[in-house]
Amino acid sequence: MNESGRAAGRPVAALVLPAVVLVLLMMVAPMVLLFRYSLNIFSPTELMIQALTARNYLSAVTDPYYLAVMATTIRMAVLCTLIALAAGFPAAYTLARMRGRWKAWLTLATVFPLMVGNVVRAAGWMTLLGNAGLLNAALKASGLFPDPVQLMYTPMAVALGIVTVVLPYMILTLASVIEGIPRGLEEAALNLGARPLTVFRRVVLPLALPGVVAGSALVFILCMNAYATPILLGGPQFTMMAPAVYDQFVKTTNWPFGAALAFILLAVTLALTLAGRALLQRRRHPA
Amino acid sequence: MGVWRAILWRGGVGAVFAVVLLPLVAVVWLSFFNQEIIAFPPEGYTWRWYANAWSQRQFASGFLNSLEIALIAASIGVTVGTAAAYALVRARFPGKTAIAGLLLGPLAIPGVVLGTGLYVFFVQIDNAIDFQIVATLPGLIAAHVLLTIPWTVRLVAASLQGLHPAAEEAAANLGARPWTVFRRVTLPMMRAGVVAGALFSFIQSFENLELTLLLTGPGRSTLPVEMLNYLEFRVDPTLAAVATVQIVLIGALMLITDRFVNISRVVA
Repeated sequence: MNESGRAAGRPVAALVLPAVVLVLLMMVAPMVLLFRYSLNIFSPTELMIQALTARNYLSAVTDPYYLAVMATTIRMAVLCTLIALAAGFPAAYTLARMRGRWKAWLTLATVFPLMVGNVVRAAGWMTLLGNAGLLNAALKASGLFPDPVQLMYTPMAVALGIVTVVLPYMILTLASVIEGIPRGLEEAALNLGARPLTVFRRVVLPLALPGVVAGSALVFILCMNAYATPILLGGPQFTMMAPAVYDQFVKTTNWPFGAALAFILLAVTLALTLAGRALLQRRRHPA
Repeated sequence: MGVWRAILWRGGVGAVFAVVLLPLVAVVWLSFFNQEIIAFPPEGYTWRWYANAWSQRQFASGFLNSLEIALIAASIGVTVGTAAAYALVRARFPGKTAIAGLLLGPLAIPGVVLGTGLYVFFVQIDNAIDFQIVATLPGLIAAHVLLTIPWTVRLVAASLQGLHPAAEEAAANLGARPWTVFRRVTLPMMRAGVVAGALFSFIQSFENLELTLLLTGPGRSTLPVEMLNYLEFRVDPTLAAVATVQIVLIGALMLITDRFVNISRVVA
């Protein structure tokens, strides 16, 4: 590059600054402040006393209530991630191997629900699962269940809601990796006498592993932080971490404790995501 | 045997896509039910819930607020995000990878955590300089800009990646001034990415719940937050009408976006 070109590089690089300033101000500063708050002490009269203590973290990880909420959240997130993976893989494979017009339409049909907010989709599930909902009407019409079956406000409803929210992410992540696997490899294995299941297990799955890892990590994070779906489909008795964090700010105004809960949620999500990734990758290269 | 396996496979895959789309179909259907209390099958069909939804103040004002916030936040985010994406692809400077990571950061931090962070940050500013930000539209817009930057950076950078800077250099060598080069050469090259970035930014802002939840106040709320508050008590055709309007709006925006970029490359 000549002199003038190098000089011209500097103003171009400066174009990144407005965005960087905005993100530093609106993301980094709030997160630093939130962390600082988590080290303060809650006081019912003054709201907050400046301090540097790990007390909020300790009381959060020893409180049986929050341990139970965290356990519920992790169980739900693991379950939903596994279901999304099992259901998403065939769908992603089909999408990846499609061609032309149909592929474009199916891709749109996958991205579209992802863009429609979680609240709208939860409203849809409430319409379907309520005591007078479509599913119960169908069950009644079938004559097998004369009385309404309790579907809403159950963990099953939450799982169904979350799985359908995260499935498009899983399908798109997997499909983008599967598209890169040459079809010829599968055909070669088939021609050499491998059964379809063996081809899947020995050829497709190992090559799609980066997609499985990326998709599962993304979906797991989304599940751990689900907010609208557990509130609307789980009802007041079913509590997951994200709503519990907000309650500390809205209902009890215990900000230091709420801030600590937020960082615990962030840390647990990150730790489990990394652990899951390590586990999957070890499978790939057995020692 | 092979035929049955193929049928089973297709049926299973079809069921997966159907389950994802099912709640959307259900809510659109419900919005036309004649009776207010849900019962299947419906007694008849009507359009009146759409008028009813618009006459409910929280939905009308929520819709207008969401529209205003999303339009302004997307305009700001697309402007600074496009500039940043251009610099990230074309300029050389130290720490580029870290800066790219920082700009995509708002997508990586869960909405609930970031939302709480923004809430305490705004309250702190409120207290420090006695200037209200929580529960104001500017506060909500500022928060939503954070959602629009990463999408724009990602989409514009992706559209620039494949383009060679030779056309710009040629224009400059032929005597075009930097602004002319940008307006006549660079901008048209980035058009697809910028349009897609704008549409995705708008949708992300319009549909956001988690980041918004703590920053709203009376009359200063967004449509998803108003819908959540309503749904905690009941689901009825009026709410379904509000949801259907959103579904149609987003569907239209997606079809427009699809003309400019390959949508499957956008999300994964």
